[in-house]
Formats: sequence, C-alpha cells, structure tokens
Amino acid sequence: MGYKSRSHAIDAITLTSSPPPPPTTTTMTSDTSPQPIQSARAAVDSLATVLGGAFPDTLASADDPAAVLLHDTGVARAVVGRLRGAGSGVGNDGLCRWLYDAFQSNLPELQLAVLRFVPALAAVYMSRAVSRKPLAGFEAVLLALYAHAAAQRGAGEPETVTLPNLANPSVYHDAKVPPKTKAAELDVAVLSPALEPHGTMRATRRARIVGAVLELYHGKLALMPLSSKMDFCEFCVAWAGNRSKLDDKPRVAPASKTEGGATAAAADEKWRRVPLPWELFQPALRIVAHCLLGPTNSDELKAQAAHAAECLYWRAAETMDARALLATRSLVRLSQMTEEPIPEPSFSGGVENMAELEAMRANILSTKN
Amino acid sequence: MAAAAAESDNGRGASPAAGAGRDSAAAVASPVKAKARALMELETTSASAAASESSEAKVDDGNIQEAESSLREGLSLNYEEARALLGRLEYQRGNVEAALRVFDGIDLQAAIQRFQPSLSEKPPSKRSNKLRSDSSNSGSQHAASLVLEAIYLKSMSLQKLGKAMEAAQQCRSVLDAVESIFQRGIPDVMVEQKLQETVSKSVELLPELWKQAGAYQEALISYRRALLSQWNLDDDCCTRIQKRFAVFLLYGGVEASPPSLASQTEGSYVPKNNLEEAILLLMIILKKWYLGKTHWDPSVMEHLTFALSLCSQTSVLAKHLEEVLPGIYHRTERWYSLALCNYAASHNEAALNLLRKLLNKNESPGDIMALLLAAKLCSSDYSLASEGVEYARRAVTNAESSHGHLKSTALHFLGSCLAKKSRIAISDHQRSLLQTESLKSLSEAISIDRHNPELIYDMGIEYAEQRNMHAALKCAKEFIDATGGSVSKGWRLLSLVLSAQQKYSEAEVVTDAALDETTKWEQGPLLRIKAKLKVAQSLPMEAVEAYRTLLALVQAQRKAYGTVKNGTEDDYDKVSEFEVWQGLANLYASLSYWRDAEICLQKAKALKSFSATTLHAEGYTREVREQKQDALAAYFNAVSTELEHVPSKVSIGALLSKQGPKYLPVARSFLSDALRLEPTNRMAWFYLGKVHKHDGRLADAADCFQAASMLEESDPIESFRSL
Repeated sequence: MGYKSRSHAIDAITLTSSPPPPPTTTTMTSDTSPQPIQSARAAVDSLATVLGGAFPDTLASADDPAAVLLHDTGVARAVVGRLRGAGSGVGNDGLCRWLYDAFQSNLPELQLAVLRFVPALAAVYMSRAVSRKPLAGFEAVLLALYAHAAAQRGAGEPETVTLPNLANPSVYHDAKVPPKTKAAELDVAVLSPALEPHGTMRATRRARIVGAVLELYHGKLALMPLSSKMDFCEFCVAWAGNRSKLDDKPRVAPASKTEGGATAAAADEKWRRVPLPWELFQPALRIVAHCLLGPTNSDELKAQAAHAAECLYWRAAETMDARALLATRSLVRLSQMTEEPIPEPSFSGGVENMAELEAMRANILSTKN
Repeated sequence: MAAAAAESDNGRGASPAAGAGRDSAAAVASPVKAKARALMELETTSASAAASESSEAKVDDGNIQEAESSLREGLSLNYEEARALLGRLEYQRGNVEAALRVFDGIDLQAAIQRFQPSLSEKPPSKRSNKLRSDSSNSGSQHAASLVLEAIYLKSMSLQKLGKAMEAAQQCRSVLDAVESIFQRGIPDVMVEQKLQETVSKSVELLPELWKQAGAYQEALISYRRALLSQWNLDDDCCTRIQKRFAVFLLYGGVEASPPSLASQTEGSYVPKNNLEEAILLLMIILKKWYLGKTHWDPSVMEHLTFALSLCSQTSVLAKHLEEVLPGIYHRTERWYSLALCNYAASHNEAALNLLRKLLNKNESPGDIMALLLAAKLCSSDYSLASEGVEYARRAVTNAESSHGHLKSTALHFLGSCLAKKSRIAISDHQRSLLQTESLKSLSEAISIDRHNPELIYDMGIEYAEQRNMHAALKCAKEFIDATGGSVSKGWRLLSLVLSAQQKYSEAEVVTDAALDETTKWEQGPLLRIKAKLKVAQSLPMEAVEAYRTLLALVQAQRKAYGTVKNGTEDDYDKVSEFEVWQGLANLYASLSYWRDAEICLQKAKALKSFSATTLHAEGYTREVREQKQDALAAYFNAVSTELEHVPSKVSIGALLSKQGPKYLPVARSFLSDALRLEPTNRMAWFYLGKVHKHDGRLADAADCFQAASMLEESDPIESFRSL
C-alpha cells in the first residue's frame, strides 16, 4: 500500500472524473461560424467548405438543396465517414458545428437533414464516451437536439400512454356495458419520462439524453432515408456487443456493403459495447422495430433489423431484464413470421363455374339455332 | 356462388330474363348471362387470334375493339360493361398490361352517373337505409358490380406493374364511387355478393397501396376510413385490416393525429396517440378471437407484447396471456411468459411460483431461460438464495451442453446466489466456503465474458464484503471505466471502498466527481456519503452543511413526488428524510449537542414512529448522558421492533458488559448474536474482546481485539449492502 499506490489511485480517479470541457453552446456559434445558417442553400455551401474535397461537386448546383442533404448518398457517405473518422467530435470539429448550426436554423427541412445523421452521431458518441475522450462537439449537437425534443414535448411533461379497457366503448368497438355506468378505470403508463433541461452532458444522464434524441429521430422515421436506418441497425448490433455469442452466423449485411468507402476508413475503430439502460434500450428498440416491421421494400434493411433485434435479445438475456426480454423476443418471433399477403382478386369460383358456363353456352347455342 | 346468386334472384322472382331460360341456369339474371356469353365469345375470339395457348393470346387494340363491338352488338351491353368483361378476362389470364389497356377505356364517372339514379333515385327514408329490392335495382347492381370490379382490377394491375400511386388513386375511386352510390353505407342484405367482394377487397387494398406509394398520411386516412365507415366487411377481412393498421401505427414511424371526436359517445375511450390506438386495436382483435369470431393469429399477441412491454405494462399483458384459450401456447411457454410479465411488474413471488411449476421434473426441468430467470429472481432475496443456487447450477450444466453463450450469465447468477446465501450462513466455516465458491463462479464468468460491467460490479461488491479492498478497488475502477462513469452505483462503490481503506479525502474527490456527473435531483445517496465522509474525518461543521444540502433536496423531492406520481423506477435510489434526521441526530449526539440531537430525533420519529434505528439513536443519546436504564430500555425496544437489529444488540452487549461480572454471560450472548448476523461488525468484536478480558480469557480477548482492529482498517462509512 503506502503513498505510492494511493497517489496512483488518485490519478486514476481524477482521470475518470475530470468532466469533459463544458460544451457551452455559445462557443459553438460564436467562434468561426460568423453568420448563422439561414437557408438550405447556405447550408449546402457551408457543408461544402467543411467537407472540402470530399463534397460531391455535382450537388453544389442542385435544385432542392435540402432534399439533397437528406437523400444524397454521396453527401451521406462523406458526412458519416467524417463522423466516424478518428478525432471527430472534438470541441472545434467543423462538421459538428455545421450540424449544430443547421439544426439551429429552425428550417424543418434542414432539421430533417441533421436528424438523418443521428444514428452515426449517437453511435460514435456513445462508444467513445465510454472511453472518456473529449467530445464537446458531439455533445453540443446532441444537447441541441435534446433541447429541441424537450421544447417540443413541453416542460416536465412525461409522454404517457393510457391503456384502453375494452369495457369502455371506443370508435372501433361497442362495449357490452352501457356507457351510462361509470367508465372503467384506465391504467396510465409512462412511455418516456419528462425531459428535464440539461445544459451539460453529465455521465449519468448520457443515456437519457441520447435516448431522447433517438425518440426525436423515431418521430421522423418515415422521412428518413434507408441508409440512415441501415446505419442505425448496424450500430445497434455493435452496442449490444455480443456478436461473438451468436453461433457464428454470417453477418446479415456486412458493413462495407452498406457504407461503401466510409467504413473502410473507420473500420479500424472498434465499436464498443455500451451500457444500455432501459432509457436508451427502449428508444433504440422502437427504431429497430420500425426497420423490421414498418413499411419498407428493402429486404436488406429487414434482415439487418432482424439481426439487431436478436443481438438485443441476447443482451437482455445477460441480465435477464424481463421487460426487455419480452419486447425483443416478440420482435425476433415476428421477424420469423411471414406477413399475410393482401388477398388476390378471386374470380368467384371461376373453376366451379365452368360447368355452369358451359351449360349456358350450350343453352345460348341452342337458342341461336 | 353463382348458384347462390341465382337462388336469391329466383327468390325475388322478378328477373326480366326469368322466363326465357329453359333450365335453372337460365334463371340467372341477364348480366350474368351476358357475362357468360361474353366469356364464351371472347374465348372464340382469342382462339382464332392466337395459335395455340390461350394464356399467351395477344390482345392488341384492334382485337379489343373487335371483341368489344361484337359484345356490344350481340348482347346489348354498354361500352363500359363490355370493356370490364374483356379486361377481366385478360387479367385472369395474367396479361396485366393488356388488361390495363382495356380498363383504361372505362369512364368510371360516367358509369356512376348512370347507376346512381337507379340505385338511389328516391333517397331512402331516414328510418331505413336498406336499398329497394326491385328488379331494376338488382340489374344495375350487376352492372355496377362489373364496372367497379374492373376499376379494382385496374388498380391491381397497376400495382403489379409497380405503379403504386396510380393504383391507389384508382382504388380510391372505387371506394368513392361506392360511397356515392350507397350514400348511407352498404346494407347488410340485398347487395350482390360479387359487388360486396369487390368493395371489401378494395377497402383492404387501398391502405396497402398508399403505403407502397410512400403516402403514409393517406394510408392512415384510408385505414380509418376502412374501419369507421360502413362497408359491411366480414369479420376476417375487418380483422386483417385492424391488424395491419395496428402494425402500421406501431412501426410506421408516422406521427398520426388521433381519430376525430365526431363519432364518439360519452364515456368512450379515445386514443390520443399511435401507441394507444394500436393497443386498442390489438385488444379488440384478441377479444374477437376469444368470442370465436376470427381465427387465431400468433402475431397479434406478439405485437401486443411488444407494445405493452415498451410502456412497462407487463401486468396488463399478463392478463391477456392468461385469457388466451388453451391449446395455443404450450403450458410451459405460457408459464415462462407469465413469469417474465410478473417479474417485470415486480411481482416476484408470483413469477417464482410459475417458474417452480415450469422447472418441476415432470415439466421442463432443463429450460435454460427459465432456470436463469429463476436464479436471477432468487439472487435478490436472502431466503431464496439456496433455491437460486440450485437453479443456477442446473443452468450452468445446461449451458455447458447446449447454450454456450449463456454460460457466463449462468455463472454470474450462481455467484450472486452463493454470495447472498453466504450472508445468512449459520457457521463461519460454511460462510467462508460459500464465499470462496461465489468468487470462483464470478471469476469464471468474467473469464468468459470480459465486457459485462454488471459482472465486474458484483465481483467488486463480493470482494468488498469479504474485505478484500484492494481487489474491490480494482473492480470498482474497472466498472467505472466500462460504463464511462454513467452508472451512479459504480461511483458509490468506489467511494465506499476508499472509505473502507480510510482514504477519506480520496473518497471525497470521487464523491465530488460523481456529483459533477449527476443531476441535482439524483444526488441524494452521494450527498449522504459525503456527509458521512465529513463525519468520519471529524469535520462536524462541514458534515452539518452536507446534511443540510441533502435535507433541502429530500424535502424538495417529497414535495414534487407528493403531487405527481412519476412512475419511474428509481425509487430505491432515493434518500428518505427520516434517514437524514437520523444521521443529524447521531452527529449532534456525538458532539454532545443534546438539544439539537433531541430535536432531530423528534423529527425522525414523526416520520416513522416505530423504527429500530430511531430507538437505537435515542438509546445512544441516553447512554452518553449516563441514563443507563433508559438507554437499555430504548435498545430493547429497538430489538423488539426489529429482531435482527445488529447495532442495538451490540449496544446492549456493550452496556451490559460494563455492569459487572454477573451480566457478562448475557452481554456475550448478545454480542455473539450480533456477530452471527454481521460478522464484520468491529464494535461487536471489540466489546466481545472486553467481555473475554473481564472474564479472564485473555487469549480469546486478544483474538477479538485483533479482529476488531483489522476490521477497523477496512470499515466503510456505510454498509456495502446499502448499494
């Protein structure tokens, strides 16, 4: 024991505890980005500056810049590649500043374009935050998104679900009990607890903040491009961190296929398993469920989502978290069921009718003669 | 089917063509006959046009016109009806593009104009929405049916060609047409079956087409239109639509506005958001199944499970699982699911009973998931720990043979159960055996899965309990590293371990760092540790200050939670106000501020009248003031309130040991009892040593004092069990 080991302990402790440089929002806006982004065109221009050579030139003159930012695969690959690259997310990261400014522009279409990168942002942030790297850039963007989600929800309001009781009638059914009797008691469940304001990213609230950002992303899922969802499912697999446990199944969609060149650069970085408390697990699971069972034509996405659901199931099994097990088990089972097809038109007993038709035909022929 | 139609026509007995036929088939209403003739004629046309295979028959525009004109002339069919028949035939043969070309010529609006007057020339009276059942009605129904089916088939053709948006528009026009023809909903009877079928199919198809076209808001509207308007759908069709709608609401990623309030009666349930509406629909489908109105669809239960688990309403889910009729789930599966539901809803006893049934040797004793769940459940309760050990051992054996990836989990739970069991072991020997075994299981689990922070944490706790502070410190740090400091209990473990090593200032540094990473609202346990650290460092004024901060927080929380029940599960992380007053009372008493101590005790008592801790504190204040009888009485009251209250037992032993030789045996038995319950209580060892010394057993006394002094070097400011 003695002094030496004690001071060593202190070192470790202070290392662990030193909070990241406060990602005060003012530094993000005032530093080198003189004017705030006010139009989609300006956003494209400033992104071109940030990305430099990586920015596809064909887009500079696109007709609908916001749509390009949201849907163009070239832009997405460049941005995601940069986000996943080494050294991203620090306080003076130009890309983070761009994301922050674009979101703060309050133009809905630009906000969508920022939300499109939530999967990559959250994934890179969560796995690096565990290793205590300075990530003020990521944190500023995530906190801005969180603040937006909190404002949208209203202060201190949890998102609740009032469970139906079939004893009460509804638009879709009649109840046996006449409605004059007192309405049956309803259970109220909290789907997402109230969002308290957070000015800084505190470690113990990290999962909640990222979880709320995922909820925000979830609300706009229908508008998100496929590749963004593919990213998310891929990261979920990494977050669950138990790939080795699955019986050496070939990965459903190899990362290199979906990400193109971007992953080649980032492949070296090992994606860490991250703590998945329910506040993060639940929104992640909702997004995976959308990818798996929502309206999509992409079998690739469904396969990737099914894989993610399975990984999350085994992650839940590690601690036998009953609630998470129930939800993920259902998803895994649903992924194995085939969807009931829309009924084809039936030509009412076309075959059965044939004899009758023949009879009529004969009948008609005889009248003709 | 045509026979059925013929029968109903006969029943009405007013078909204009009835007299013309010579046998029963001829009694069919004229459009059917026309259909038949058209079919026949078409067959001859295409037979002459194409060489051999009729399905390969090419229909070009010339052919269509030729066939159409021959149909119109020969059968006095109008233009639309003739096209409808032709297109239908093409569709049936799989010539989708050809069918589309034929259908393109149909002017639906014109056709509707023609049907409308005949079908509803006199708007039906308000009392009845039944259509008149005269012959002209049935005739135009056939015609309408033919044209509507044609548009429906057109929509299907477009969909097959990948033009979902156009397909949806066509399909919608079918429904619009039906609505304008039957302004008061489709009556239950007297609608031709074919027409009803076309309507049902179109109703079902439309939302799917919108979905394929990516028009999610339209899809949403058309689902509601399907379910809320009167289309006279059969139960199966309605169920299918309800299920698809529920799935769309659950997973669509579209924020839907709730259904309108217009049609809702008082006291009815109004879904406010997607999830509520989806859950409502799923429950309705299940109910229909219970009533035998529809067939069983396993996916409905899975969707409901997902939805209810998301909002943590597993006890509601349990009710639904219980209602599932026998024969669907195997009983062991049902028990396991119910156990999960109950456990998630903290009904541990019910969950364990279900698992006991399941793991019975006559059921499935080797079910690994059930074994793991049972072991996990038992690991949270001392009295169940032994049972848990058995389950966990079985799980380990099972995992070795078939579920390799679950082995570390099984070993983890085995370690936890063994640790729990060791706490209530009767003998030292048994305890140390169990402790060794527990550590062995945990380290084996870690050797398989290096990345599970929970495992590292439990290992740290176990080391700490066994007073191996060096190893515990390593685990605590590793846990904080693995979680990035995001889990509060990791910080607390680290401070307690440091405090046990008497490194109070370092513990304080850790606590401050943890406070930085924690929001105000959740700082309670950390502030409590901080206050106790100040006490341990003999900094009473700072300790009082820390307690004051804590008190302010606790009272604010009480006010906030008094009004709104938050429903979150962090309650165990909260410090009670009672605890704070208690801590302050002890602090003041140790400083001999009797009046202040007394006030704090009163406050504590007001919150919890019969608490062993308060009574013990009261005894302590009396004892320090030399009121020995009162002190003893208070201690005894404490022990009678809580039979296993260790501090009171120690205090009684200590007090009695000072009363003279004849009390020594009693004192000794109280102290031994305390040590049985808490072998690491250094004060108990110390006073036991004194008892031995008074009794003249010097060697025993020396052993006890040594134990006490060793323990003092590893005594945390708060029991590790408080974590």
